[in-house]
Amino acid sequence: MLAYVVRRLLLMIPTFLGILVINFAVMRLQGFTLAEQMKVESGKGSEGVASERKVQGASKNVENYIDRFRRAGNDLPALINTRGFWTKADVVSTLQVAAPAHGVRSNSGSRAEKQLWLAGHFAVEPLYQVLADDALKELHPAAATAFALCAYASVDPGNVRELSSVELNRIQSLNETLRNNRFDSIADPAYAAKRKVLMSVYEDPLNRTAFAHSKGKAWKALFVETGFTDLMVKLFTGRLYSETHKEYAFTLIGERWYISFGLNFLSIIIAWGISIPLGIRSARRVGTLEDRATTNSLFLLWSLPSFFVGTLLLHHLCTDTSHGAALFPNRGLSSDDSMWYSTPAYLLDLLWHATLPLIVLCYGSFTSLSRYMRGNLLDQLNADYTRTARAKGASEDAVIYGHAVKNSMLTMITLGAGLLSELFGGFVIVESIFSIQGLGTLLLDAARQQDAPLIMASTVISVGLLLVGILVADLLYAVVDPRIRSKYG
Amino acid sequence: MVEPALNAPETASAKPGSTATLEAASPMRLALLRLARTGGARFGIAVLALLLLLGTYAPFISSEVAYVWHDEHGWRYPLFTDLFNRWSYTKRHDLLFNVLALEAPFLVVACLVLGRRMKIGRLIAWSSAIVILSWIACMLPLRKQGDDWRSFWDKRAQAHATIQDYQALPPDTHAWAVFPPIPHRFDATYVGAVLAAPLDRNQETGHRFWLGTDTGGKDVLSQMLFGARISLTIGFVASGLSLLIGTLIGGVSGYFGGWVDMILQRIVEIMMCFPTFLLILTVVAMLDRDIFKIMMVIGLTGWAGTARLVRGEFLAQSVRDYVAAGESMGLSRWRIMFRHILPNALTPLIITATFGIAGAVLSESGLSFLGLGDPTAPSWGGLLEQGRENIRYGWLIYAPGLAVFLLVTALNLLGNGLREALDPKSTT
Repeated sequence: MLAYVVRRLLLMIPTFLGILVINFAVMRLQGFTLAEQMKVESGKGSEGVASERKVQGASKNVENYIDRFRRAGNDLPALINTRGFWTKADVVSTLQVAAPAHGVRSNSGSRAEKQLWLAGHFAVEPLYQVLADDALKELHPAAATAFALCAYASVDPGNVRELSSVELNRIQSLNETLRNNRFDSIADPAYAAKRKVLMSVYEDPLNRTAFAHSKGKAWKALFVETGFTDLMVKLFTGRLYSETHKEYAFTLIGERWYISFGLNFLSIIIAWGISIPLGIRSARRVGTLEDRATTNSLFLLWSLPSFFVGTLLLHHLCTDTSHGAALFPNRGLSSDDSMWYSTPAYLLDLLWHATLPLIVLCYGSFTSLSRYMRGNLLDQLNADYTRTARAKGASEDAVIYGHAVKNSMLTMITLGAGLLSELFGGFVIVESIFSIQGLGTLLLDAARQQDAPLIMASTVISVGLLLVGILVADLLYAVVDPRIRSKYG
Repeated sequence: MVEPALNAPETASAKPGSTATLEAASPMRLALLRLARTGGARFGIAVLALLLLLGTYAPFISSEVAYVWHDEHGWRYPLFTDLFNRWSYTKRHDLLFNVLALEAPFLVVACLVLGRRMKIGRLIAWSSAIVILSWIACMLPLRKQGDDWRSFWDKRAQAHATIQDYQALPPDTHAWAVFPPIPHRFDATYVGAVLAAPLDRNQETGHRFWLGTDTGGKDVLSQMLFGARISLTIGFVASGLSLLIGTLIGGVSGYFGGWVDMILQRIVEIMMCFPTFLLILTVVAMLDRDIFKIMMVIGLTGWAGTARLVRGEFLAQSVRDYVAAGESMGLSRWRIMFRHILPNALTPLIITATFGIAGAVLSESGLSFLGLGDPTAPSWGGLLEQGRENIRYGWLIYAPGLAVFLLVTALNLLGNGLREALDPKSTT
């Protein structure tokens, strides 16, 4: 039995990894959206002669975008980071695409420029070398902007409490210096002075450890400093930080996961408890009016979208009318003053609140479950062993409940695991309709505000719960099926 | 070898009772006969056809612009030019339906004339090709205006032939015009008509809002008609896309077997395990909300079931003799897979595709209901979301909810009917 459990657990690892990869890919999508926004908002940053203030405003904008990229881990390359191997020549060729000496900048030019801006500390040393080289004067304005943005240090709100105030001040003054010493052309009267200041940033021994290249750092960055590892490290150390809630994602989830879990668990039990007897009843009276009526009404129920049913229930049962007060509460899982209730009253209150959400959650799976139960049981009732059981004189109840139902439960459990994942989309809708502060509403708010870390964390947790559910189904299967028990000893 | 599904002559479905067709019946013809006898499937087809008709002719039913306008300058037909005005119809799928609305009568006549001589599959293929090509042509710069080339679907000045213009005319002008039965635009906000109840009158024009208005003062019935376009497009495009991907992956996996199969099956398993709606939700959250992107996302995430099904069919078919015969004749693998095996595995595919359309429609309305749909498109789910926000206003709940329910029921009934007709062995 233990071997069976271990085997099941091991089989889940690739699935879980695959889900992490899909999630990661989805997170990367945000990079494209951000890049689009950046194009719109920073369009004027490096063209023409802009006033000092305008340049500063634009640079602040760009810095905000770079912050957002960095926090989502979208500034790093997805899987392999070769930025550590960049030389001066590489950066010069990028700069030549980004800021051609004569003529108009192309689309690919602005893309190259943005790529350079996002390169972070990897590009600082080669950019310093460009700035130090008098022969490359043409490229200096673009290099200065890129230098300032690459050396710009984001203060991650997730880590800010771990920084000392001295360190924080240093970072802020560094950012200030970088921001004030960009120049748009070599004609700038302060060109020489600004260039010197920028170069001194790199030469400062305090910064040098962070910026200087070395072979070891480059090789380490190749696989370690990538978007994927970054996200995985944040995920597994619990450092995914939600900016909209100003809190670590797992703290938020920890406050809420059991609400969704409890609702889903209860609704699965209710769905099974209702639909299996229904299926058995239909199969016993196959072909009768009752059977057909059940099948057809369940079919209609199946086609009813849960968001429609939920809203309807809310409209009819949860609003006060002229006839009287509402039958059911319209939001949440407990009354406002429920903390003063005695335990039985509290439980009753909870039940009162949870009735409608549970109905909406579980009615959708009645149809498929009872239909499969019916079909399965019919198959079993036509099987040879049933005939044998009848021939030896067993009562009809004994044949059905002692033999046929037992055997069809095997298939039902396998199906149940598959149905779990369908059920799992539903809780977002139900929680949103009834304003239940669970994982679903958390995920939905995160989705509406494009809060990538929170989305990542809550999908991973939801899928993790789902995998646990599937594991439980597998275990149940082993309990019911003696073949598995004997195979694994 | 069994003929491809669509090659069954039209007569099979046209004359369900005649014995003459029964005698020379191919399996596909028999199946269509069975389908036509199922009440549920008939109902499903009728509802789908009705929704398609209403969606296609939505601008003719609900628009502020006149069909005909006659005054001292002569006759004008502003509604027809308005169909190609990009100010009025900003979305590409609207243009597609507008093109379809203009071409459908001719295509139907042509199909009726040619129906005896051509196979119905050919006719459908040709008609859709014509509609899609003319749709694309409308978006290409083919019209010369001054010095630059513009597309037919273009931003033009408004026609000055709306119902407001008509009513603002001084009483002594000799002009008359015919307007659509609902002279309201689906995206126009009417002053003083926020959350007007059904049958209330528009203060400006005096015409009724048959299904009331929403929180923005837009006509609900009008939005419902144009919402049908969105639901139908989403359903067909998204499920077509997932069908395509699922067939490719499942086919390759089932026919090639070996390590290709193993890797693809792991991917399919992961996709099966991931709750589809959660995946769609997260992807849509990361993109900007455009109806075509939502379609793509729904299509790209829903192929796992199809892939598994197709794989099973291909596995079963690939040991058949005709496949061995094809291989011995030196046919290429792709030819064997998609010209010979696929037509034999088409039955379960058609059934899942029907249910897939229903799933896609539900996903899209669910997304819009959660406020993650395209805010500029009049989706049924979006209306229902307003109903959720303003829970006392029943018409914002019943109208879109029943529409989604009707469409989904129709598709499910059709799928059920198809299953019974095409796969007589199945008992459940």
